[in-house]
Amino acid sequence: MTGQAPTPVQMERQRQRARRYTRPGFLIQLALLACLVAGPMLMPSFRVMDLVAKIMIFAVAVASFDIILGYTGIISFAHGMFFGLGAYSVALICHYSQPVQYHHLLLAGLLAALISAVVAVVISALSLRVKAIFFAMVTLAVAEFCHILGYQWSSLTKGEDGVSFKLPGVFNADWSGGSLWGTQINGRLLVYYLILVVAVLLFVGLVRFVRSPVGRVLKAIRDNEQRATALGYRVFRYRVLSTVFGSLVSSLCGALFAMWLSYVNPDTVLGTPLMLNILLMVIIGGLGTVYGGILGAAFIKIAETWLPDLQKLALSLWPKVEFMQRLAERWILLFGILYILSVLFFPKGVVGTLRDRAEVRRLRRLGRP
Amino acid sequence: MDVLNLAHGAFFAWGAYAGFAVLNALNGLGWVETGTLGQGILSVLLALLAALAIGGVLGLFLERVIIQRVYGDHLKQILITMGASMVLAEVIKVLWSPNNQTVLVPLSFTGSYDVMDVVINKFRVVAIVVGLAVYAGVMAVMQKTKLGIIIRAGVENREVVQTLGYNINRIFTGVFMAGAALAAVGGSMWGIFREQITPAMGDENLIFALIVVIIGGMGSVTGSFLGACMVGLAFNYVAYLVPKLALGANILIMVIILLIKPWGLMGREQ
Amino acid sequence: MDLSVTATPLMETKDLCVRFGGHTAVDRVNLVVEPFTLKSIIGPNGAGKTTLFNLISGQYRPSGGGIFFKGQDITALDPPGRTALGIGRSFQLTNIFPSLTVLENVRLALQSREKIGLNFWRHYGSLSHLEDQAYHFLEMVLMAPRWAVPASTLTHGEQRKLEIAILLALEPELLLLDEPTAGMSLEEVPAILELIRQIKATGQRTILLVEHKFDMIMALSDSIAVLKEGRLICDDTPRAVAANPVVQEAYLGGGVKNA
Ligand SMILES: Nc1ncnc2c1ncn2[C@@H]1O[C@H](COP(=O)(O)OP(=O)(O)OP(=O)(O)O)[C@@H](O)[C@H]1O
Ligand SMILES: [Mg+2]
Repeated sequence: MTGQAPTPVQMERQRQRARRYTRPGFLIQLALLACLVAGPMLMPSFRVMDLVAKIMIFAVAVASFDIILGYTGIISFAHGMFFGLGAYSVALICHYSQPVQYHHLLLAGLLAALISAVVAVVISALSLRVKAIFFAMVTLAVAEFCHILGYQWSSLTKGEDGVSFKLPGVFNADWSGGSLWGTQINGRLLVYYLILVVAVLLFVGLVRFVRSPVGRVLKAIRDNEQRATALGYRVFRYRVLSTVFGSLVSSLCGALFAMWLSYVNPDTVLGTPLMLNILLMVIIGGLGTVYGGILGAAFIKIAETWLPDLQKLALSLWPKVEFMQRLAERWILLFGILYILSVLFFPKGVVGTLRDRAEVRRLRRLGRP
Repeated sequence: MDVLNLAHGAFFAWGAYAGFAVLNALNGLGWVETGTLGQGILSVLLALLAALAIGGVLGLFLERVIIQRVYGDHLKQILITMGASMVLAEVIKVLWSPNNQTVLVPLSFTGSYDVMDVVINKFRVVAIVVGLAVYAGVMAVMQKTKLGIIIRAGVENREVVQTLGYNINRIFTGVFMAGAALAAVGGSMWGIFREQITPAMGDENLIFALIVVIIGGMGSVTGSFLGACMVGLAFNYVAYLVPKLALGANILIMVIILLIKPWGLMGREQ
Repeated sequence: MDLSVTATPLMETKDLCVRFGGHTAVDRVNLVVEPFTLKSIIGPNGAGKTTLFNLISGQYRPSGGGIFFKGQDITALDPPGRTALGIGRSFQLTNIFPSLTVLENVRLALQSREKIGLNFWRHYGSLSHLEDQAYHFLEMVLMAPRWAVPASTLTHGEQRKLEIAILLALEPELLLLDEPTAGMSLEEVPAILELIRQIKATGQRTILLVEHKFDMIMALSDSIAVLKEGRLICDDTPRAVAANPVVQEAYLGGGVKNA
């Protein structure tokens, strides 16, 4: 290639490399990261920190779901279950090991990863060979089974009451390490930073996954399965790989979630509402975008913290009308309607719609020579 | 008909609640808990009829407003019927209550027969008879009538059937309604049988329905029938031995069947 | 052993059959393809040409008979396995990745050839050499200026060319071309034929070509096979096939399609 004029492909690549660190997307990510790091120092409110920690965890969980649903085009109703498997791994190990130590956390993380990988391989190897619909049905059945197991295996999981536990050493909620620049350093804060670090690493991993050769093939498979097969790609393997990867990340998110709450019960980490929340978040953020997970999680989690206010409003507006109050209590109903409307009329979500705009601009630049 | 409807469980629950409402209303007339055999039969029939109607109406609504927009797109079908199922269950909670309700059962249907020392719950007999009748009916329609042929052909290729002059949209709406209505009837029978209903009963039974269909193979009524028998037998047998593992046993059966026949017992490849 | 290798054909079908319901679409076909030759397959519509390709590339399972590639029995091998062995095909009905860019379409073929598909830790950017190669293949089919657009926005003729570029990027030993010029405008056809001629001229590739334009494949082909109602009725040099009365009757009787 020496001595030759660069091809348009090479020129475009150079252009992209040059603007790598000045792209708006990159700058936004940097700013977001800075906010997450500095947040607890600047705004020492537990309510905000709680919200942000949950948003981070769910952003990653939703992004990992997007790998399966948006990139691979298969629907897994077991994503919430994997989340729960991770959460229960942490909860049970921390609960049953006395005294709890740091290596128990590591062990719990490894266990979560191992269990979810094995379960995901078994489920997908069984049902992905057949048809995407089958996979949806099998995962739904298995997830519901795990939910029931959470209730009924009470000698281990303590059933409906759930498992509460203490985290080791500096992560323990009671631990306190004085203050730094006016901010209390305590166990909660350190767990927050642990979540931040792990969530960022997982998210980078997810983004990297979709940009890797595998991510590209997944897109191709979703676009035209037959052609991908004829090109020599074994579709089944790619589907299994992506399902296992997404499920594994989900279980790690569940582990983080359990650490944040120091408590798990079947309904919060294994139940259908969790799965529906993840679905809603992924749809709102935009399927097949990964970054949409952040927006979707933020939107829903923020809305959830506002909804109790809505209830109070309903209470004060119609103090006598029992029906209205029941309606306000059932805010999942509102989410459900929002969800259906988004699937029907806003299928690309926020990030997807923005990306379409960017694509139009790109084509205007490169489309017609 | 190649639509994966996860709202089926919700129809089931709606049917149960409709039946429950009717029985409650009729009890006000003194028909249910104290009435004669005739009044008892009539009130159960009315309950089932109400379930049938509500299932049909909900099915019509769902098909026309939502599902028609997503024919041919399995992913969206799954996503959207999942949402619809959640909304329907929530509406139940708004209209009735989030808690369990006790269903009033007509006097004449409580108790059991004692046939040669085997105790058979009376309503169970009714349920079996109705179930067999529905199976026979569906089989007859699908295999023997022109309508059945049109439906099966329509699933394979909409356009061709359309050009033959049949309004496939309307037929599909009808099939969907029928399915919803049958689910609702099933729900109301379940409610009377169990004497208890909850808004979540749809989800719980959807799992069984899914396992049944997976085992039986999609698109095969006989397969579903076989699947249901296996699931029911296994469930009760294991429930008798180790109650907590009953559902697990069914999942295990499903896994084994998928291993041996990935398309289900009676499912056809592709 | 070494001597026998030179004697084995590149690809061979033995009594190959496939039935759909009661209809036998390919009926005991014994086709022999010698290395580094170009064989054309002709036959009336519905003769089973595409079906034969689907059998060779693995899309359909045969009801009977076997397929051999370089002496190896590949009858039970799945399509990706056959692609890995060096059998690549283009489709009669355009078959591309519509929402991916033209460049990405070709790049995916290169990625498959380099067998780095199942790698998920490597960054996409480190694959830039594949992009450069893909661009080179687009230049070969005169599609380079369109590299950045989604494939769905291409005209039909352009999509056909992209299809060929994808196939070339796989660098298969055996190219199965199913009516590469179908649906193209008349001005575009010579360029494609020239491309096929060039591929053949390199002496590196073996080509199996389905084409309806009889006069044009006459000059191009080393041999021509004639299919009719699923049966191979003749397989000979172009001259001999043209003179064959059975072929004339069958082919003209079936009606020569002119795209
Ligand atoms: N999957 C299938 N199922 C049923 N029949 C099929 C299938 N594929 C092909 N056929 C039948 O096999 C016969 C051969 O079809 P094929 O497409 O191979 O013809 P062809 O020679 O490629 O024709 P053309 O010149 O139109 O491309 C046709 O009668 C077709 O209907
Ligand atoms: Mg053809």
